Amino acid sequence: MGLFKRSSGAQVAVTPEVVSPRQAVQATVTTDKPIDKVSAATLEWGYTNFYRYRWAGRADSAAVQMNDSWFMMGEVGTDAGSEKNAEDWVGVTKVELPVAGGEFSGGSSSFTVPSWAPGSSDVLARWSARLTIDRGGRDVDASGDFTVVIGRDNLEFDDEPPARTGGDGETDIEIALPSLVFCAGETINGSIVLTPHADMSDGEVVIYWGHRLISHPLVRTPAIGGGGKSGPTIKLGKGIALRNGTPVTVPFAVPLPEDAPPTGTAVHSTLVWFLQATLHYSKWTQGIEQVRRQIAVVNAP
Amino acid sequence: MTAAAPDPDEPLPPQRGLTREERGRDVSEAQAEAEAETSKVQQYLKAMSPKYVWSMAEGYPVVVKQFLQFCLILIYPAWVFGVLFAAAMHLLFYVTVYPVLWLLFWPMRAYQKKNHPEEYEATRQKFAKK
Repeated sequence: MGLFKRSSGAQVAVTPEVVSPRQAVQATVTTDKPIDKVSAATLEWGYTNFYRYRWAGRADSAAVQMNDSWFMMGEVGTDAGSEKNAEDWVGVTKVELPVAGGEFSGGSSSFTVPSWAPGSSDVLARWSARLTIDRGGRDVDASGDFTVVIGRDNLEFDDEPPARTGGDGETDIEIALPSLVFCAGETINGSIVLTPHADMSDGEVVIYWGHRLISHPLVRTPAIGGGGKSGPTIKLGKGIALRNGTPVTVPFAVPLPEDAPPTGTAVHSTLVWFLQATLHYSKWTQGIEQVRRQIAVVNAP
Repeated sequence: MTAAAPDPDEPLPPQRGLTREERGRDVSEAQAEAEAETSKVQQYLKAMSPKYVWSMAEGYPVVVKQFLQFCLILIYPAWVFGVLFAAAMHLLFYVTVYPVLWLLFWPMRAYQKKNHPEEYEATRQKFAKK
């Protein structure tokens, strides 16, 4: 009877499967058999954008503030799970496919990936061609995915000055890099320059890569937390003497993962990459120093 | 660092949304009104109003919101008591602890007033009633 075997009746195939911005892709729609009672067949090119949002009430309401107050310290709290993952479709171009006498039997469309296209990844966006057939019966929906890879010439990246994310600045940390753009799978070779402004206890330096998804949905309230990943912490040196006015250079090599999602900005979220270096003083009362340097990652050579 | 100029015939990039920092504080109208109040007494009175308490359920999905409003009605007497208690503690602090601290730091203020008059005046301006 085919009651439980619901083939959608149409397939969308996109070639080539991997493209760069400004290149053209071709979608071919095929049907098992001609679809009847069709009023319109639309193919939409665009991407599914991933982001996080706050679903549970107003973000700064009195109840949330109370949840964070000191007398609730040690309590389970009620704000866990108030933010969640979501995805929204961002359409770029709509194409009407030909329908002859209410019958649809396939078609094709070509699309040039725009220069501002965010790169495909599980973190930021999934590009696809979506077919919607409006008909006097059950509508037919199908989609074909393709991957947009970002190369060095397609990258849109606003360089941000290095930011101190921890410590009192008794030692300046500078992350010196040969370039700010790196390719997935590449090893970042650079050095950390430590410039103490006072005699400090010996230091230990570590570094790691990280990326963060900044959500900025059009309608929903953006989430603050979540949506980030960081690499293994790489120890660079122990017992580094930090004497006033004597800069120390520590070289490092940080390998980026092969499947690193490329830096990019979409409608509802932005993916940023960074290197974070932390200096731990051996005397614990002197604390730490921490610096974050924003970088860009691409995934096409 | 920006890529080469976009093709003239490609669609314009769609408008992006705003991050939490760009949006500013996300509070209900009743709460914004209470926070804008400069007088502490008025602030406490507004925090006691049913409208304020009711507004804490704002922004939740349907059903959850109604359930929360129901719960907020139930706890309303306790809320009023809580706010009154907080106001009483606030007052108590200014009647008991504050004068002691004020007396204790008198020499320091006098020293600042005498030796760093501009700094002293700047600090006074900073904490003056808006």
